[in-house]
Amino acid sequence: MKHRVVITGQGLCTSLGRSVDEFWRNLLAGHSGISRISLFDTSSLPVRIGGEVRNFTPGEVSGEFPEAENEKDRKIWLGLDAAAAAITDSQLPGDTLQNASLFVGVSLETFFLEDVTHIAHAPNASRDFTRQILEQEPRRRLQTPLDRLTQILGDHYGLSHGRFTNCSACAAGAQVIGEAFRRLRDGTRAVALAGATDSTLNPLALGGFSLLQILSTENDQPEKACRPFDVTRQGTVLAEGAAFVVMETLEHARQRGARIYAEVLGYGSSLDASRVTDPVPNGQGAAASMAGAIRDAGLQPENIACVNAHGTGTPKNDVAETLAIRQALGAHARAIPVTANKSMTGHMIATSGALEAIASAMTLYTRKIPPTINRACPDPRCDLDYVVEGCRRFEGRTVLSNSFGFGGQNASLVFGRFDS
Amino acid sequence: MRTRIVITGIGMVTPLGQNPPEILRAIESGRSVIAPPTRFDVSPFACPVCAEIKDFQPQPYVAEGKMIRLMNREAQLAVAAAHLALGDARVKSGEAYAPDEIALFGAIGLAGLPLAEIIPLVKASSGPDGRFDPGRFGQAGLRAVSPILSFKILSNMPLCFVSICENIRGPNGIYTPWEGQGAQAVETAIRALESGEAGCALAGGCDVKTHELAFLSLEQHGLFASWQEDHVGMAPGEGAVFLVLETAERAIARGARIYAQVSGLSLRTHPSGARRADTFDEVFKGLHLPPEPLSALVAADNGDVSSGKDEQQALSSGKITAPTVIHPKKQAGDLFAAAAGLQVGLAALLAARHGGRVLANCFGYGSEQAALVLEAP
Repeated sequence: MKHRVVITGQGLCTSLGRSVDEFWRNLLAGHSGISRISLFDTSSLPVRIGGEVRNFTPGEVSGEFPEAENEKDRKIWLGLDAAAAAITDSQLPGDTLQNASLFVGVSLETFFLEDVTHIAHAPNASRDFTRQILEQEPRRRLQTPLDRLTQILGDHYGLSHGRFTNCSACAAGAQVIGEAFRRLRDGTRAVALAGATDSTLNPLALGGFSLLQILSTENDQPEKACRPFDVTRQGTVLAEGAAFVVMETLEHARQRGARIYAEVLGYGSSLDASRVTDPVPNGQGAAASMAGAIRDAGLQPENIACVNAHGTGTPKNDVAETLAIRQALGAHARAIPVTANKSMTGHMIATSGALEAIASAMTLYTRKIPPTINRACPDPRCDLDYVVEGCRRFEGRTVLSNSFGFGGQNASLVFGRFDS
Repeated sequence: MRTRIVITGIGMVTPLGQNPPEILRAIESGRSVIAPPTRFDVSPFACPVCAEIKDFQPQPYVAEGKMIRLMNREAQLAVAAAHLALGDARVKSGEAYAPDEIALFGAIGLAGLPLAEIIPLVKASSGPDGRFDPGRFGQAGLRAVSPILSFKILSNMPLCFVSICENIRGPNGIYTPWEGQGAQAVETAIRALESGEAGCALAGGCDVKTHELAFLSLEQHGLFASWQEDHVGMAPGEGAVFLVLETAERAIARGARIYAQVSGLSLRTHPSGARRADTFDEVFKGLHLPPEPLSALVAADNGDVSSGKDEQQALSSGKITAPTVIHPKKQAGDLFAAAAGLQVGLAALLAARHGGRVLANCFGYGSEQAALVLEAP
């Protein structure tokens, strides 16, 4: 028997807000969360802009999570903030969580150069590097395992029915929601907390991504730097943040009278198997992911009413994704609105899929599609109905959300309006 | 299990070799490759040994030679093991299965950032006071970094290279960073087969713990405590193992050789602070094993005194016995994210040889603990 799965709690921590209400208000208004990075001195870097969560300090979260007091990786704190907000929003009784599963998406480990620079500078550092670290900084761990947030959340809330840490790059946030959905749908669980966290706004990650030449270097106009589907787009903009949702079987949600934002209808994933640097130019891999999600939902392409695009603003992605949407939806692709949240949020890597899942759920819940900003000069190769005029009224019943990972991992989710 | 899922291919790149039956024979004969590391000075660490793969060459497994320079060692090992598994199963993408019918689920360990690349970077980024200077990082530090460094630190890259080299385009997922995540990869692959989302699945993992940074992290995370207290302990290893899984129906239809059927799988979460033996006991209970003895057991004991005791205690408590017991981690090293693939692959070989049921314990560090039962077809 297949169970229906619904979203009953949402929490996020982003450059556009730390509550879903604030985030959604800013997204609908077309506000950009991109600004000059203040977390560290970027003046000598080619990229100096990003989607930074302002006015956020670990101290704000540490009261609730004293066990995380010594963590220094910012994405852990962002994740704790968002996950706690999702659980609060869901109003789930505490004891329910003990039978729940946890799915956390992440991308890459944060390596703190400042922790070892003074050691590397010492005489004989190359030879005795690790000895010096062990002697001088025995407690300062060089690596934080990517499952650290999973461990803290799991132990704090007693989530004991399986804990998954997915590191499928930019597809991770969508994959964790998809995997949670599948396990709830088959009835092996009734409740899951799923989401993702990431912060690439640190020297090594920002520097490393800038070397790949996929980032916009338009440092003088941060709010206009990310321009999905615009012919003048130069690249994406990195951002930090976290987004989590509480998911339940419909029976479980109804029994406790939970508020339901949206229904999760389908999930699909695919691999490009082409190049690690670029998407398949014809969009074949991404189209397979969308087709899989639509099939999984038991729908036809004509049933999709809106696309929340991956829409990174890189020259290659946006053309390939447009072709992919046309492949997956056929002639229907031109008849429905497409929007790209990253024009305002920036690219939150692992978190993007989870955040755009919340945006998709809110599109269905509030019946409004947020705009794609900065598309002043349309790319003729990107020829779909992008929502550029401002937020748009939406009476459709489904949203397809795309997340395509660096390296060729693709994930798509289909969400449906829930009518009580 | 609702649908019969079988193992038809095993690919192993381990310190004990690349031929699965020979690896099993080496383990049964008591051969160990655990020895002092040859690639770095181990003297600062409590653990004096590891299990290295000698003389591995990725060229035979990567058609596009240029790609090798983008790959870290984990990726190279993963590509080789995946190729060997598919070859063993006689599955070639586009023939027995369409590329999008083949799923890929794997596990990867902690990032293997090479210190040799990091030290020049941090030196170039340090100011006169010896501290990190972001200004110098942008001016000089970044120049000391290879532009391809990102390909070596992004956790999903090894499996992406597998997909490219073997033209695999189906459902996928990557989990990190301990032994249990390898078992999660196998479990998710089985789900994809049971639901019909995939016709064939490649599942396993890769990990490299035989370098200086890995030792540093393992020491800092307390995983060498047994060496400090008891002068014995876990030996970190390196390797990649992938298994080809199919539904019995499809495997039989294409005339595949079947090593074993997966007849039981139990995954449990171990909360911090709980007794590990209790969690292992819960894992065994989840298998609903019949009272008859097993034909063989692949133990998870990695030489760490406490983990060995906990496993033994849970086996005793569950009255689980087997005439044949092997301890791969004590001879081939602990392959961490690749360990579950090795445990299950060896169990499949034992089931094919001995018949009956073989238990593969996939216990390890982290919260997720698992065991699988393999049965002769």
